[in-house]
Amino acid sequence: MIEIDNVSYSYEDSGRAALSGVTLTIKKGEFLAVVGHNGSGKSTLAKHLNALLLPTEGAVRIAGMDTKDEENTLAIRQKVGMVFQNPDNQLVTTVVEEDVAFGPENLGVPAAEIRTRVDAALRAVGMEEYAARAPHMLSGGQKQRIAIAGMLAMEPEVLVLDEATAMLDPRGRREILAIVSKLHDEKGITVVMITQYMEEATAADRVAVMADGKLLLTGTPREVFAETELLRAHRLDVPAMTELKERLNAHGAGLTDDILTVEDMTDAICRLLLKN
Amino acid sequence: MPIVVEKLNHAYMEGSSLAHNALTDVSLTINDGEFLGLIGHTGSGKSTFVQHLNGLLQPTSGSVTVDEYDMADKKQRVMGRRLVGMVFQYPEYQLFEETVAKDIAFGVKNMGIPEAEAMERADEAMALVGLDPERFRDKSPFELSGGEKRRAALAGIIVMRPKYLVLDEPMAGLDPLGRHDILDTIDNLRATLGCAVVMVSHSMDDMADRAERVAVLSRGALLRIGTTAEIFGDAEFLLENGLDVPQVSRLALALRARGVKLPEHIYAMDEMELALSALLGKGGYA
Repeated sequence: MIEIDNVSYSYEDSGRAALSGVTLTIKKGEFLAVVGHNGSGKSTLAKHLNALLLPTEGAVRIAGMDTKDEENTLAIRQKVGMVFQNPDNQLVTTVVEEDVAFGPENLGVPAAEIRTRVDAALRAVGMEEYAARAPHMLSGGQKQRIAIAGMLAMEPEVLVLDEATAMLDPRGRREILAIVSKLHDEKGITVVMITQYMEEATAADRVAVMADGKLLLTGTPREVFAETELLRAHRLDVPAMTELKERLNAHGAGLTDDILTVEDMTDAICRLLLKN
Repeated sequence: MPIVVEKLNHAYMEGSSLAHNALTDVSLTINDGEFLGLIGHTGSGKSTFVQHLNGLLQPTSGSVTVDEYDMADKKQRVMGRRLVGMVFQYPEYQLFEETVAKDIAFGVKNMGIPEAEAMERADEAMALVGLDPERFRDKSPFELSGGEKRRAALAGIIVMRPKYLVLDEPMAGLDPLGRHDILDTIDNLRATLGCAVVMVSHSMDDMADRAERVAVLSRGALLRIGTTAEIFGDAEFLLENGLDVPQVSRLALALRARGVKLPEHIYAMDEMELALSALLGKGGYA
């Protein structure tokens, strides 16, 4: 679905390479989380996925279409919907349903179909009751759900969330993660979630870790978070249960490497206690 | 002398049809030098509460006394306000001067302190928040990274030498690295200046790690206040109220549900490590 082929990118004003030699393939229907510090290049990478930025070197292809070819831009942006960090910067109208209709209207979708799409999109994010409300009266999490609905109304194949939960409280974060997981599981939408929260990354099929503009590591959440030394060397957070596992193993507990969640740890401890 | 909040009520848009009570009968004391954490949902009244601590908002009824200055009294409020430094969410949006040093010195210069002394104090404040004065003094605030900007904004409050430092979501929007840096800076300020810290945060793991006492607000009321162990040691209570709990508290809850006997009030990694190695050790491994 998405091929990132040896991509490097330098911002004009700094000259520093924000991305260097990143190669990554995202399969159709995959849920990929991209983690890393501010300045690691993760947001720069995200902006390459719908031609907001074009590679200085290398190529990005969306369903075979090269993002550098301007003729593809519109088709690519229909396929890849982006949701950004700040919930207050993405809503443009004064009524929720108008906001959701904004994208398809610009695409020239017929009015009757817009109605169907808007209803379906609001239903998918659980906001159908808010169709006639004013966006600025909503919570941050609700605003981001409307932003996602606006993307869904364009019927994209890929949803890119560029730190879409960074400015939300824990409840808002949970709302967004639940909706994104549902869209992925039920509608088969390909999801690329850029995040700084390790616990969000654990919900993904695959995690890519960025550091200094390079792809440091990819794998399943269990594989990636088992690499504690590498993560610590880059001053990235190690999940709490992974850290506890290491500490207990230092006392000789003999826990396996793939412990990631509280549930994993509970099961492992209970098994050990039973055996003893 | 502490900050004493008694039966604090605050109603927004009083008398109109949109009136609602943001705070209801909140009473608590903030002691000298302590680190008090404030948790609760968005809309629980946390921000409304902290804005009373330096008199930005006035109680509808009840009182706020800062070191015996009554914050409802105009003259006393001026004195009380000097003791309370407020750092709002995303404080870096409030940087505006040409240089970092001028921005930091702005508040003290307004207090009538001469330029030379103000700049000296700005240097001190920069060093306290981990910005090398030599390197940062003459930079434009807009050249700084996100984390540096936030530290500069913090220095602009520290320079006033507050006795109470009130921080509303100081880590919001920062990545894990930036979060740890800000938390370490806050601990360092408290150790060096002896100021009390009141911190509002959604990050339960950070709160469990740093605070001494924690107050839980819900729908404008103080639901519970206690030591960090008392609050986070009771994961069930927090979850019932729809709040997050630190991972270690969740593990304690899950293990207890499976019949594993753990000491009370476990919420910190060190304690859990100790308790579990003791339990597993009994089974005979080294």
